[in-house]
Amino acid sequence: MRYKILLAGDGGQGIQLMADIISKTVFQADLYITSVSNYGLEQRGGASLNYLQISDKPIGYPKFRKPDLLIVMSKQGRQRTEQNQLPGVETLNFEYYNGILEKENIKSQSLNVLFIGILAKILKEKKICNEKEIFVLLEKRLGKKTNWEENKRAFEIGYSK
Amino acid sequence: MPEAKFCVGCGHPIALMALNKVLDEMGLTKKAVLGLDIGCSLLAWNYLPVNTFQTHHGRVTPTMLAFKRARPGSICLAYAGDGGSYAIGWQSLFHAARRDEPITVIVINNTIYAMTGGQTAPTTMHGEKTPTSPNGYPDEPFHGPEILKDIVKPGAYIARTAVNDMAQMRMFIKKAIETQQAGHFSLVEFLSLCPVNWHTNGPDTLKFLEENMKPVFKVGEIAG
Amino acid sequence: MKESKRDFITGAEVVIKACRDAGADIMYGYPITPTCEILSGWINEGYASLQTEDEIAAGFGVCGAVLAGQKAFTASSGPGHILLQDAFAMAEGMRLPFVMIVGQRGGPSSGTVIYSQQEVMLSCFGGNGEGMRFVYSPSSLNELYSLTRLAFNDAWKYRFPAVLLTDGYMLKTTGVIEWEKIKDVENSPTFTRLSDGANVHWPNIYTAEEELYEEVMVMNKDYKKAASKVAKAEEYLTKDAKILLVAHGIVAASAKEAIVELRKKGVKVGLFRPTTLRPFSKKQFDKAASNKSVKKILVAESSLGQLARIVHDEMDPEICKPFAYLQKPALGIEIEDIYNFVLKNNK
Repeated sequence: MRYKILLAGDGGQGIQLMADIISKTVFQADLYITSVSNYGLEQRGGASLNYLQISDKPIGYPKFRKPDLLIVMSKQGRQRTEQNQLPGVETLNFEYYNGILEKENIKSQSLNVLFIGILAKILKEKKICNEKEIFVLLEKRLGKKTNWEENKRAFEIGYSK
Repeated sequence: MPEAKFCVGCGHPIALMALNKVLDEMGLTKKAVLGLDIGCSLLAWNYLPVNTFQTHHGRVTPTMLAFKRARPGSICLAYAGDGGSYAIGWQSLFHAARRDEPITVIVINNTIYAMTGGQTAPTTMHGEKTPTSPNGYPDEPFHGPEILKDIVKPGAYIARTAVNDMAQMRMFIKKAIETQQAGHFSLVEFLSLCPVNWHTNGPDTLKFLEENMKPVFKVGEIAG
Repeated sequence: MKESKRDFITGAEVVIKACRDAGADIMYGYPITPTCEILSGWINEGYASLQTEDEIAAGFGVCGAVLAGQKAFTASSGPGHILLQDAFAMAEGMRLPFVMIVGQRGGPSSGTVIYSQQEVMLSCFGGNGEGMRFVYSPSSLNELYSLTRLAFNDAWKYRFPAVLLTDGYMLKTTGVIEWEKIKDVENSPTFTRLSDGANVHWPNIYTAEEELYEEVMVMNKDYKKAASKVAKAEEYLTKDAKILLVAHGIVAASAKEAIVELRKKGVKVGLFRPTTLRPFSKKQFDKAASNKSVKKILVAESSLGQLARIVHDEMDPEICKPFAYLQKPALGIEIEDIYNFVLKNNK
């Protein structure tokens, strides 16, 4: 089993948090995972990427060209992943999910949490890990911060998609 | 290892002799380690009965301060010329002084790069002729101790002496070592002699030190 | 060393743990991407350190600490690595065990900040001497740990400086390290010639050409003797290989995964992976390359031939086999790249 996820957006959108929560949950499930972040020279405002690989065997090379799942969270993220947008790659685009958040009256800052919800669903279906474990970690990281109620809803919306 | 040799009339052996006397008096010969920069300083390899090591040009200060951090009980003496201290090694010397590294830096100032043939040093004086300033050096010389005075911490010691004043040399070295023992940075600059590259005879060599150098580089205690 | 069976940590954290477990007393360093996390991580663990004014002072700081009898190390990259070669050459000349962690970034010049394999030549031959240093190239987190430990041990055992040559992908990747798969080793003891009152001079400059010649020849003898123990390589499915891939570091990890896929398709391909780039495991390579089944040798690397130069220089000239090169300076080499390259050369 090998599942590759590429997260692509702008610095500050919470991509590294997404990668962190997913990878720690997978690690707890006794599987192998690699997470490698990639960003430009600028400390803020540049593109931010994270390559995640999940496997039941040790993983050699942490990067890949063709992900199974590509999550595009911004225009810059789309530009930076042009070479990864290959046939057969399942792609989730921010425009559509921002629309959903808007309808639900949730700020777009919760986009990363919505995607964590979607990932929780996918990983559960693939029997990689349980959504509850992801949620526990998420709550640990964001539970005491502002907008937790909104984030919680965003997670649930993502998970139900 | 062959015997360490300096040119006839050189100031280095006088400075080293003064250092040796002080170490002996203070009973610190066995605890002392003398780090040598490159340039004529390197020639001091077995001149004194102490542990020594050589480094690259300008690198004795960062090497010595790490030695001191590793062996706080040793007496760490970084021995360098004016180029190794104020040109290629200045960045390290400056920051070592700023951080109050408890080492003693000994700078031999002869206004030129002696080992390589007398080229211009940061201490070359206005109008002084060298192989790389054949028409006379157009700038003012660099006063390392006076600059360091403003950045060292309380407790540090900085002084300038000359190799024709044995009593003063010994007094300043002793104070510098005591400063190190108290946990602070110290530096003593020695106005030295280089008849070979100055192209001077005996009396003119001393005259150059007294009449040319001393008015430009004031001897005395500068900080501490 | 092991509090848990497995950890999910970054390459930088692995390096810190390995240096500490190797007995390192102090780190001298200057921040440069992609090795900053080694310096900040080491300091945040509360271990002795000094952030110096530049890499020159960091390098000579390591030398000073080692002269005094400590185990010390530094970490750097690219332009910082260039400056460190000043002190590293002194370590080579004075037979100081000096460990330098190099996280390669793109070059020349400031280049890029995360990844490359362009510091191979600088690591192996960056001094004004004969390249008497050890250079290790790990290709997994487990090996990043064990080779860092080995770099310290070999350096102190044989008294030559050592480079742990890795890259920013490796240092910045968070992955699983499995402690039970790593053999624990005993640390080499430290030493100094400058104990109190020894009245010893530790030189690096000589008056006569003959004196230095003697020194270098003794060094050479020692280096050759050490090399027979230090040089190491891994072979993967080379026995029946028609195509012999040569790669090091993280590119070799990619190559291994490509080989698994290629073997499924019936392509007889194997990997020769030097774990030390200097000394190079020459005998083992000659044996693998001269194997009758081998029809072609492919060298894959993220540089324009720095590994290939070592291979050609070391290889027995009587081994006449065609070569092909996959060279992507400053770019990662992915599994697909190697897969396609091997297929292209398997006609």
